[in-house]
Amino acid sequence: MILSINPSIKAFAVLVPGVLLGLTYDVFTPLLYFIFILAVTFTMTDIPILRWMKFFTPFLILALSFAWMTVLYANQTFSNGEVVFTLWNLEITTGSIQTGISLALRSLCFGALSLMFILTTDSTKLMLSFMQQCKLPPKITYGILAGYRFLPVFRHELEVLRQAHRIRGVSRARGIKGRVNQFRRYAIPLLANGIRKAERVSVAMESKGFTGDTDRTHYHKMTVGKRDWLFLGMMIGFLIAVFALSYYLGYLRIFGRKF
Amino acid sequence: MSPCPLPFQQTVRPIKHKGGDAFMTKQWKLKEIVLMSILGVVFGVIYLLFFLVGEGIRNILAPFGLAPFGYEVIYGIWFIVSIMAAYILRKPGVAFTAEVIAGVVEILLGSAAGPGLLLSAAIQGAGAEFAFALTGWKDYRLRVLVLSGISTAVVSFAWHLYSAGMIALAPWLIVSTLIVRIISAALISGVLGKWLSDQLAKTGVLRGYALGKELQRKRNYESA
Repeated sequence: MILSINPSIKAFAVLVPGVLLGLTYDVFTPLLYFIFILAVTFTMTDIPILRWMKFFTPFLILALSFAWMTVLYANQTFSNGEVVFTLWNLEITTGSIQTGISLALRSLCFGALSLMFILTTDSTKLMLSFMQQCKLPPKITYGILAGYRFLPVFRHELEVLRQAHRIRGVSRARGIKGRVNQFRRYAIPLLANGIRKAERVSVAMESKGFTGDTDRTHYHKMTVGKRDWLFLGMMIGFLIAVFALSYYLGYLRIFGRKF
Repeated sequence: MSPCPLPFQQTVRPIKHKGGDAFMTKQWKLKEIVLMSILGVVFGVIYLLFFLVGEGIRNILAPFGLAPFGYEVIYGIWFIVSIMAAYILRKPGVAFTAEVIAGVVEILLGSAAGPGLLLSAAIQGAGAEFAFALTGWKDYRLRVLVLSGISTAVVSFAWHLYSAGMIALAPWLIVSTLIVRIISAALISGVLGKWLSDQLAKTGVLRGYALGKELQRKRNYESA
């Protein structure tokens, strides 16, 4: 079902809760919203759970490492409460553990939200929707799409470069100076070819009548319907409900201040 | 600006406003926009290479709870696109737009960071644009590029204080993270960005863009 939501609306539905979650520093609020995101992801899309886990693992590692940093080095506002244990002369308090877990859960929310977006959104449709709903100029829209289409070509070119170096006996880089040289040997030709392609493709587009005029017709019409607004309302509405509930239960903390 | 020995500084043509186009796209050529997009693609790939370096550092620092520093060291790669694009194209708004375009391209390539990238790219782009705006989009010497890198680092850091909750950390840690990010931005996006652009200009592929024309003029000036 999320597959068919308008991409621009979906982007907003993912961005707004992501920004608002930055306010919370308690465990309850992000935890509840995280469960909600998981529920939405696995009931309204058909992403296989293993595929999802594969993408989610890096977020988990990042979240854990950041949480560990926060637990060890939280400042005074966030490290109140009793001392649980000490490690390398650092006092670990209940407050700092709580803040660490909260921040980890928050970044897991970001991760789950963006995976929900990325795994259900088609790149071309996203750009078309940006152009038709968010009034992104066609020049930029098609310029981006043209550049993005060159990715497979770059992969191929990187391979060609590598083979060309090997056949001429350029050995693998040793030491820092060698590394810098190697970086230059790859980066400059790659970029130079990219720029040549940018020039050629834009000349080709213009010679075929692309003017970048905003007054144009579209073959693929992207529309915004009732369901799109409903989805946006659901994502933001549930966040507000979570905030309200955690305020009501006395858990809500915004920037270390309890309400 | 008065005549100066380096012909690098006197060349920005005044911008002609044809109608009120919000994105200033009217005076941008299509090839310049495609160039920004391709820079986004190339550095998206290069960032992944650097990412492995960052992960190595991260794993060493992880037990001490300092793992995020591993990524701070390579942070400058994020900003290089806007600085290179501004240095090559030399028009108002390029630094900002190039960074946003790079963010969009990352999303199209399927970066797991998702739409959040749009927001952080816009914030970083605004930071990069700030330094160029200070000079009235006329000065593209190394010091301005480095300044742009620094302002990007500071602005993006302010955003991270909020979004990643870094504000909860001890002050010494916040300050040292900021310093690492500033150094990374100044060196990678300012110095390396200029160096890469100059090397590219030497290959001749930038003849149709402001930096290439600049180099051509400089060569004529020297040979004359």
